[in-house]
Order: sequence, then structure tokens, then C-alpha cells
Amino acid sequence: MLYQRTTNRFSHTALLVLGLVSTLFAHPIVPGLEASKISAELKGRVLIEEMNCVACHGSDSSFAKSSKKAPRLVDIGSRVNPSYLKSFILDPHGVKPGTTMPDTMAGMDDEEKGEVAEALTHFLLSQKKNDFALKVPDLVSANKGEKLFHSRGCVSCHSPRDAGGKETMVKSSAPLGDLAKKYSHKSLVTFLKDPHAVRPSGRMPRLDLPGGEVESIAEYLLRDTKVPGHLSYTLYRGKVWEGLGSDGVDAIRGGQIADFDQSRVGVKRGDYAVDYEGWIHILNSGEHTFYMEFNGGKFVLDGESLFDVSPSQRKRPRKFEKTVNLDAGWKKLKFTYYKTGPGAKLSLEWSGPKFKRGAIASAKLKVSDKPVVAFKRFEYDKGLAVSGRKHFAALGCASCHDDVEVDSGDYTPFSDLVGGKGCISKPVKLVGGRVKHPEFGFSDMQRDLISKALKPIEQKKLTSHEDIHKTLVSFNCVACHQRDGVGEISAERMDLFTGTHPELGDQGRLPPTLSHVGAKLKPEWLNKVLLEGKRQRPYMNVVMPHYGGENIGHLTKLFGEVDRLESVKLPKIESIKESKNAGYHMIGPKGFSCVACHNFNGDNSSGAGALDLAHITKSLKKNWFHLFMKNPSRFHATGIMPSFWPGGKSIRPDVLEGKPDLQIEALWAYLEDGVRAKKPEGLSRQSNDVRVFDKAEIVRGRGTVGFRGIGVGYPERINLAFDSEEMALRLLWKNEFASINHGSFRAKGGSRIAFPPGIPFYKMKTLDDNWPYKSKTSYAFPHNLGYQFRGYRLDDKQRPTFQYMYGEVAIDDFFEDVVKDGKGAIFKRTFSFQSPKAQDLFHFRVGVSDAIKKLSDDFYQVGGLKVRITSDHKGLIREGSPGDLLIPLRLPKGKSELTLEYQW
Amino acid sequence: MVKLRSILTVSLFSLSSLLHAEELGKMWGTAEEEAKYYPIIDVPIPAHVPMRPGSFDFLPDGRLAVGTRRGDIYFVKGAMDAVPAPSYDLFATGQDEIFGLDWRDGALVTTQFGEVTRISDTNKDGKADRYDTLSNNWGYAEGHEFAFSSKHDPDGNVWVALGLSGSYKSHNLFRGWAVKVTPDGKMIPVCSGLRSPGGVGANAEGAMFAIESQGPWNGCCSLKHLKPGGFLGHPASYNWYPYAPGMKVPALEPQSRSRLQIEKKRIKELVPPVIRFPYIKMGRSISGFQLNQTGGKFGPFENQLFFGDYTLSLILRATTEKINGVWQGACYPFREGLSTGIMNVEFSPQGQLIAGGFTTNRQWPVRGTKPYAIQRIDWSGIVPFEVREINIREDGFMVHFTKPIDKSVAAGVGTYEVKTYTHIFQGAYGSPEVDQTDLKVLKAVPSEDGLSVRVYLDKLIEGHIHDFDFSSMKSRDGGKLLHTKAYYTVNEIPKK
Repeated sequence: MLYQRTTNRFSHTALLVLGLVSTLFAHPIVPGLEASKISAELKGRVLIEEMNCVACHGSDSSFAKSSKKAPRLVDIGSRVNPSYLKSFILDPHGVKPGTTMPDTMAGMDDEEKGEVAEALTHFLLSQKKNDFALKVPDLVSANKGEKLFHSRGCVSCHSPRDAGGKETMVKSSAPLGDLAKKYSHKSLVTFLKDPHAVRPSGRMPRLDLPGGEVESIAEYLLRDTKVPGHLSYTLYRGKVWEGLGSDGVDAIRGGQIADFDQSRVGVKRGDYAVDYEGWIHILNSGEHTFYMEFNGGKFVLDGESLFDVSPSQRKRPRKFEKTVNLDAGWKKLKFTYYKTGPGAKLSLEWSGPKFKRGAIASAKLKVSDKPVVAFKRFEYDKGLAVSGRKHFAALGCASCHDDVEVDSGDYTPFSDLVGGKGCISKPVKLVGGRVKHPEFGFSDMQRDLISKALKPIEQKKLTSHEDIHKTLVSFNCVACHQRDGVGEISAERMDLFTGTHPELGDQGRLPPTLSHVGAKLKPEWLNKVLLEGKRQRPYMNVVMPHYGGENIGHLTKLFGEVDRLESVKLPKIESIKESKNAGYHMIGPKGFSCVACHNFNGDNSSGAGALDLAHITKSLKKNWFHLFMKNPSRFHATGIMPSFWPGGKSIRPDVLEGKPDLQIEALWAYLEDGVRAKKPEGLSRQSNDVRVFDKAEIVRGRGTVGFRGIGVGYPERINLAFDSEEMALRLLWKNEFASINHGSFRAKGGSRIAFPPGIPFYKMKTLDDNWPYKSKTSYAFPHNLGYQFRGYRLDDKQRPTFQYMYGEVAIDDFFEDVVKDGKGAIFKRTFSFQSPKAQDLFHFRVGVSDAIKKLSDDFYQVGGLKVRITSDHKGLIREGSPGDLLIPLRLPKGKSELTLEYQW
Repeated sequence: MVKLRSILTVSLFSLSSLLHAEELGKMWGTAEEEAKYYPIIDVPIPAHVPMRPGSFDFLPDGRLAVGTRRGDIYFVKGAMDAVPAPSYDLFATGQDEIFGLDWRDGALVTTQFGEVTRISDTNKDGKADRYDTLSNNWGYAEGHEFAFSSKHDPDGNVWVALGLSGSYKSHNLFRGWAVKVTPDGKMIPVCSGLRSPGGVGANAEGAMFAIESQGPWNGCCSLKHLKPGGFLGHPASYNWYPYAPGMKVPALEPQSRSRLQIEKKRIKELVPPVIRFPYIKMGRSISGFQLNQTGGKFGPFENQLFFGDYTLSLILRATTEKINGVWQGACYPFREGLSTGIMNVEFSPQGQLIAGGFTTNRQWPVRGTKPYAIQRIDWSGIVPFEVREINIREDGFMVHFTKPIDKSVAAGVGTYEVKTYTHIFQGAYGSPEVDQTDLKVLKAVPSEDGLSVRVYLDKLIEGHIHDFDFSSMKSRDGGKLLHTKAYYTVNEIPKK
């Protein structure tokens, strides 16, 4: 066996290697642990869980379940660069100082280590096919990523980096190692989007950032990835003639490009600039002539500026020529080209010893004068893979990486472990014997903490308090949240928290305290925060991430048990209507002006943009709300929120007799209506998102349904878009209403039902007639069929009744949003016809679909929509692909009605 | 309007490369002096009000009504106070960019992109509850298809000028036409040949005009007469004559790279621009305009037209007269230094001029840098020494001043410099100034009261802008003119 063979050669190298372990290598880092205020015993417990001791040393105790599992390795080939994998196995503490991965080969000499690491690599990569490949970094995106990495919360656990990429808080940060050597852009993005697929224990949380942000962060972390190529480039757009650093210029993207051919830049229209960098190959020493035709730019070769024409949007292209003497070899080249000005163009050619004038071929260009090795796909060797599999078992890898189906060995049960021995013994004591345990590189303090916790961890049950403390430290919640007795944001990281609303002070940038949180938040809301990533503070740059319900879901219950505040005696409300109305007035500018600072239902306040009040009764416990309102500074010593009842006296004695309890209760009662509360006065209307409160909202213009669209958002959270060009219903949707921008609107929300173009009513000659709609060239349509839009009037909930003429028939078309038992909100639609005489047969087209079904006499399924005819009319299904559902109408003289219900 | 083409939707052509903030043109340099006579007062806008004003009107109760790009109408109380601290009440919402507003019979008649709408508050709760569409019978299916309208004419019609599709073509019904919409909602096509109009209004005689921007078939911004049956120069809209009852498509199309004075003789329907505003010297995207009938409350320019300019954030002034049955006239600098792109203007009952507008984030450069503003220009009560009006005579001009002139200076022929030039009338964008001439002043005869001078020239050139420089003129008390330039567009020379 390999190990027996090598044991004899052990002593010399082991000393050397282990000597290094104790001096150079950082101990395994559990970022929140050291600074936390929890007891030593609990710290030891955290370490035991974070090192996953129980993976080898089996135990039935509770800590077994909460121990941190090792990364999943089955799909590691798609995730990790093979060369990194091997180097990491070979020397985990050297390659990633601070890692919790132990060195399992500490007892081998270099040669054997190399062989084993090679075999393990082949084994791991043999498990699954992979498509690992490197991508040229986009430095423009990376620059955005740098800001995001430092603002979204990554640096709460990981070290921030200086401009050169050097980590500045190594000791207190979860280590990352050299990510450019480890990941491809694709694999890092995949990992960041769902870290728990690889690291199921959730210490690395999922941030749920927008895809573009994740990509930029990955670009930043991998910006040192080396890929061979011809030229590096950066593309700029905007007022490039004002200089690339000016306000009106944006860097768009970067990467590599084959040569100076402008068609490769991929910009069809408009001004832009490209910054090229690379090396050009001079084959023979001698005179070289460069021929440039351009509107502006700067071309620097080997430190000498050959062409320098300041950009202008006025200049036409001009021709330049320059001859220089160049030695053979690779010369550094930097070229900024500005495509701006009339007739903008670029022509760059050269001639030299033994070659004629022509374009600079990409073969003559390289991104670096040093060799850049192209990534080669890893081909595993079957024999090595088989041997690697054996090592994987023998070295104990399989104990932690238990997704790989390899049997793990038997190790001392946890209950028999003794402090100071084995994995937690000092490495120098190992001389002369075979290393039987993996080397973690623990610090003395860590060894001590673990040793002392070995017994209690098995014997003692954690109290709820301790369980909270342990969880908050294991998951490093205390990196962002303060909680009494556990920890708080460290001084060195304090300035890394930023926000978009500086006027909110620290409350606008620092995540809220967790002291009393169980007394503050309703458990349903806490669950939403912990398990679904719900957030209420969009002005904070840092985001609350996901740690996985199975990992931290227990916190909700624990907080509820532990956090207690005194109970308020809630006042008795005589009239809820009166109370809500008082709340409405107090919220607005004539009361306490809450909306001067707070947002409401997504609409910005005129001022600070503080926490949205429309949702707080869903999240807060009423008892806490009363306590907080009476004395906000009790909970936020430095908070901005004033007290409206200083000394127990209301500043508005005229409302509800000035009684504080009644007033606070009234605010609560009003806020309980949430997004359907009566819209407070004084809210800003600057947002492009139009939100519906207690009354309908209307938007008009181009966008969702053509150019003459009218969008209506109804209080029951259903919406429609009506086309006033054809006087027809075009779209139904649910939830969020619409965003607008200068005369255009876009439906938001979801559950959309679209109706195709076409008028609502038509007199067909035969039932086979096509249903008419406005084509690009039917200019006079639909007026030529007797249609004329006449506008709309609003009811007391601002719901419109559309009015139009169809020939001599005047039509009122009204949609009412009603909640039907068990079916949510539906539309009741009422057509009221006024005709001067009885009309010949014509049809109303309800909808068009490939899937129209009659569900009952008056009930039809039209695609995703169900329509009930509630007046005395019959539906008529016209077969076809698609078919349509029509309603034949024979209007009498005078008034008549057609009524329908739409549900979807 | 030139600017709207590029700012309001994605531009079809990269015109922005022709116009940049640094090259908005030289300022007149008169702002400081102008402020003595016509101070500018900001009307504050609260932070929560999304105010991109596009049109104004005054309500019978004295409040200012403002229609916005977002499609809101606000009623503003207190905007006319000496130090305004106004309150804003939201009257109507949800319309599609309002560029026309006129109160009539208890309702605001509003022009938005797609229609003319009569908006009213029937339950008197201060919020509109009826939006009656008077007409939406023009085509609206592409970007840049703006609609700007006039105040009501004496018959109760509003006149609507309809910009071209993408401001170059006419793909949809009546794009490039002016139409009028009657009180009972009928739409009557009036004339064709507009390009990208930006404001509509009548002069003191009741003739209706639209302001037009530089572009194809438009060498520079100009005021155009909406003459029934007329063709205003841009032939893209010829295709809608079959949809205009009783109207016939002109027999000829204009020839490109020609001159207006040649083409108007070829095409009998062609109505030449009333006033051409030399580019940059007199604005570069002129917008809404209003007739001053304040009864002297706004100073010595009664019955004259006042125009906003979007790009240069200034106010211009113009006078019109009908010669041989054709409208023509002159334009004059008035006030510069407003703080945003001016979209529209309105005279208050108190005789102040409200001006407002916005800039955009689409990189169309505007001299005034505020994202939006409402400002007020008051007359301080001091009469500035200005050229009040220029009228044509068969052999020269009659130039009127606001204050008596120094007769000896005024009688010197060297006191006047008169140049002329015109534009190429062409399908390509804009035009340089061409066919320059210098006219000789033969004689100058001041009037007895010193308020005017009769200037005799060696000739007048039909179709040319006559560019006056009065820098040497002095008032009787030795003062200099506040503005020394004026530009008269000669379409017709009075018959002797």
C-alpha cells in the first residue's frame, strides 16, 4: 500500500512541512467567531461545527446536524480549473490561507504528494463531463463589479480589496484564495447565483442579486484571468470628443479583439471611442511607415506618440503618415481611436522592410509580450482516476465530501475524543510517526477552545439563548447586525456599509439591530425575511441574503421565545372608521407629516425616502409599534425619527382628544389597510411607477397596447389596457399596475391575458368573414366603420366608463373590479347601448384563441380566460385556428345591456 | 421642432453629432441689461411634483393651469404673486403629453398626442372626472408624431399642428397637416406641408400660425401661416389630400435645391414662411408662442407675438403684416438667460409672461441647465430703448422705436447696415444662408415725434431675410439700443 511504503520516508519532510504549518499558514478562519462576545464553550462548539469534526468522528448529538458540510464535489469539473484543483489538494493552506479544508497529506513527501494529488484530480474530474473554459475578462464590467463587491455585502465576510486587488482585512475575513486561478466566469456566476447547490450549509449565502450584478462581480473577481489574444480593448460611448473621462462618456465594455477593423467593434451608429492595447511584432529591424486616416485619436508605439489628433465632432477624416525606425521584437502599442465627426472612418496601415503597405494583420498582434498559455481541456486518465478514488477513501476525503459516492473509513467516535490529541494536537509532536489525521493548522487558541468543548458539546443541551448566539456567529450575522450579548459590526468594516439616501443617516446604511427583534417582528414576516429574502429597506446598498431555511429557519421560533418586552394596554376603539380617518390625517402634511420622510406604497416621499409605511403592519407587532412610537430613541439611540408625543403629550391635541394611545392606535388602524389605504396627501409623484391605492389610476400613451392605449389599474389589483384607437379591450393583468415615461406606459405585474387587434363590434355579411382590424395602411379605420371614440368619465373610485359610437349606437363600456368568493378579483363588464332604432344583427367578439371551450350554457374558456355571459345573450364559437368567441346582438330601440364577467 | 426629434424618442439619424452643448451659439450678451426692464422670477415647484410643463393657460379664477409631459394638469395658485410661494393642485392625470391647453365653457380643452380632449370636473371636487374626446381622427402610430394646438379661435375651434412620422415621413393620416377641431368634435383638415411644428397661435388680426423647425424643406425655424388650402413647404404630406373633402393635391411638387421665391411661383398652393428666424442668431428650436394683448401691462409691445426657444432658453419677439395678401414680418431678440429649455409661454391676466419647459436626459443640449422650470417675466415699468416694429414700404422700411431717437443720428445713412440673404429650399436638412447681398441706404428720414424713421434702400429683395444692424442708433437722451438686431422676411414688396 502506498501509505505503508511512504511512512518510513516521512520524518524529514513532515517536520519541514508541519513546521511551515505552524508558522506561515493562517489558521482556519471562521469570520464572526473571534470578535463575537459569546462564551468560550460556545466558541469551541462553533469551531467543532464549522470544522465538521462529526463527519469523521460520528455522534448522535444535536451538533451533528448543524455542522457545516463540505463543498459538493461531484460536479467540480465544471466549477474549478483542474490546475487549481490539484494545487489546492496538494497544499490547501498554502493556496488558500485560512481555509477550513485540512491538509490530508501532511505526512507524505513531495513526490508522493504530487502523485496522490494528481490521482485525486483525475478521479474528481472523471466523475462528470464538464465544459470548463476561460473567458476574456471584461474590465468595464469588472469596474462595476468592484463597486458592487464592496457595497452589496460581500465584504461583510470577505476581505475588501484595494485598487490593486490586494485584500486589506485578511485576518478577519473568510478567505477566497486566488479566484482567477480557480473559477471560470461561467462557473463563478453559476456558483454565486446558487451557492447552496455546492455549499449546502449556507455559510456562503445566496444574495439574489440581479443577473447583471452577479456577472459584474464575477468579472471583478476574475479580472486577472489570462487568455491569449491579439488586442485588449475598451469601448466608450457618448460625447467621446470631450475626452474619455468626461461626464458624458460611458465605458460600455471591454475584452479582446482581433485587429483594428472597425466592423469588429460592433457599433453600427453614433459616436464612440475604442482604447486598444497590445504588442506588435517587428520582424526585421528598419524603417517602418504607418499610414493613418482618421478624425481623431492617439497612437503610441514603443513609448513614442506617432499620431495625436484631438477628437472633434466637427473634423472630417484626414490622412497622416509617419516613418519610424524600429528594432526587431515585440513593441508595446496603445491606440485610442475616436469615431466621431462627419464621415468618421479609420484606416490604419503599415509598411516596412520586406513587406508592402497593408493593414496590420492580427497575427502581428498579441495582448502580452509574455507567453500566455491557453486553457486546455483536461483529459483524465482512467488508471489514475481509479487510483485517485482509492486515495479519496483512504485519506478520509469521503467523510466530508459525502456527495461523492466513496466509502469513508472508520474513525474514533466523537465521544471518545480527547482534548489535545489527533487533529487538535500540536503538529511538532508528530515527529517519528505516521500522520494519522488531517492537518487543520489550528491556532493554539482554537485547539484550546475545541479541546474544552469536546465534552460539553455532547452532554449539554443548548438553551434558546445559546442557540441564537451560536447561529448568529456561525452564519456571521453579527458582521452586519448588532445583537446584545452576541456581537456587532466591527469598527474596521463600519464604513463599508453605504446607502443611496445619505439623509437617512446610519439607519439608511446599517442593517437593523437584532436586539428585541423577536418582540418587534411578526414571525410570519421574520420567516419571509429569513427564508424568502423579503426586504423593506431598498435604500441600503447591502442586501439581506439567504442562508437556507434548513440552516437558519429555527431562528424565528427562538427569537419569539427569547425576546420579550413589556405589554402595552391597547386602547379601546369606538369607531374603526373614525380611527382610520384620524390616522389618514395624521400621516399627511397636516398631521405628523409622516410621508415627509417615509415612502408610502412605493411612492417616494418628498424628503428622505425612509421605510415604506404601507407594509409595516404586516411586519411589525402592534405592541412594539406602540412602544416605538411613544419613544423611538429607546430603540434607535441615534435615529432620526422624532417623538410626536414628547413627555406623553401629543403635538396634535386636536385629533382624538390628543390621547397618545388612541392616536397611535389610529395610525396603526389606518396603516393596516396597507397598499389599499386611502392615498395620503403630500406623497411625491416623481416615480415612474404608477401605484394604485384606494382609487383607480389611469395612464395613456404608446407602449403596451399600441399608441392610443389607456391603462387602468383598479383598487382590487387587477388591471386592463384599452385601445382607444379601436375601442377594444387589449390586455388584462394582475398585481402591479404600470410604469410610465413621457407619454408611454408599460404594464407591469403578471398573469396576462392579451386580446388581438380588432374592433369590438362588427356587422358580418357571413359568419366566415374575417374580423377587421387596423392595418398599417387602413388609414381611416375604424372611423370608416362608424366608430368614434368619445372619451371616458370616472366614477367615485376613478374607474372609467369608456364611451364611443358604433354607427348610430352610443356605447358605454364599464369595467368593475369585484372580489368573487374564492376566485379573487374579477372584472364585471357592462356594455350599455343607446340606439335610436332597432339594429340589425351584429356581433361582439369576446376573445380569440386556439382553445375555446364551452364550460356551461353561459360560461366559456377562451385560452387562459374564463368568460361568463351574465345578461340574456348566448355565445357563439366560430371554429378556426384561432377560433373566436362571438356574441350575436340584436339591439332594440333605446337602452339595452350586455354584461360579462372576466376571470383568469 | 428640431430638438424634439432627437430628444423625445430614439433618434433616427445621429443629428446630435451636429449640435453640442459647447456650440449652442454665442449669447446675445444682453441678459444683464434686459433684467432692468424684464426681470425673471422663478415660480417654485415642490419636490414631489413631477413638473415637465408643455402648455399653460389661466383659469377664470386666476390660477395658472399647467399641462405636463407626464400627462398631468396642475392648477397653480399664487404663481403671479410678487414673491411667489405657490400651491399646486392636481386636477387631471393620465393623459399623453399635453402640448395644448385652453379653458372654455367650464372645461379645459387639452391637446395630447392622440387627441383633443375636453376635461372637466362635473362634481366640483376639484378633480377632473370627465375626459370627453373631441377628436382623435388623425393617425398616430409612430414616434415624434407630436400634436400642438392653439387657443380657441372666435368660432370655438382649436387648430392642431401634426408633426411628421419620425419627423421625416408621413406614414399616418394627416401627419404634416394642420387641422381644426370644432366644438362638436368635427375634424377639418386645413393645410399640408408642415414638418415638425412646435406651437400654434393667432396674431392680432386672427390669422392662425404654427412655428416650424429647421430641417428638410426648412432652412431655419420659421413662423408659418396655416392658410386654408395652403401647402407649407414639406411635400411628405401630399398623400392625405384624398382624405380631405373638397381639397385637391397640388399639381406640382417642390423642386429641391431651389429657392422659396422660385417655388412659390411654380406651386400656387405654396405659402412661404411668414417669418424666418436666422439659425442660432434667433433661436434654434423655437417652441410655443403667444400674442401679447395685455393692454400695455407688458410694456411697449402690444399685439406682438412672443416665442420661447427650447435649445437656447430664450424669448423672441415678432411682428406680422399682410402685404399683397401674403403674411410676412420681422423678428427681434427679447430676453435670454432663462433656466431651462422653454416649451411654451403664456400671458397672465396681470400682464406677466409665464415661460416654462424642461431639459431631457437624452443628450439634446439645452443652454438652461435646470431639468424643468416655470419662470415669470415681469415688466419693471421702465421702457427699454428697442426697435418696436419694422414695416415694409415699396422702397424700404418704416422702423418704429419704443423711445424717441436722436434725429441727427437717425438721419445719417451710415447709422444703418442692411444685409440680405436667403436659404436653399431643399429636401436635405436645413440650409446655410446663401445669396448674400448688402443693401445701400439711400436716405433716412426720422418722423416728427422721433418714434420712427423711414429708411429708403436701393432695392428690396423678394424672398430674402433683410438683416438690420442698428448698433449706431442713439435715443434722444443718448441711450443705446437694448438689442441692435432685427430680421425682416420679405415675401412680397408692396406695390407702388
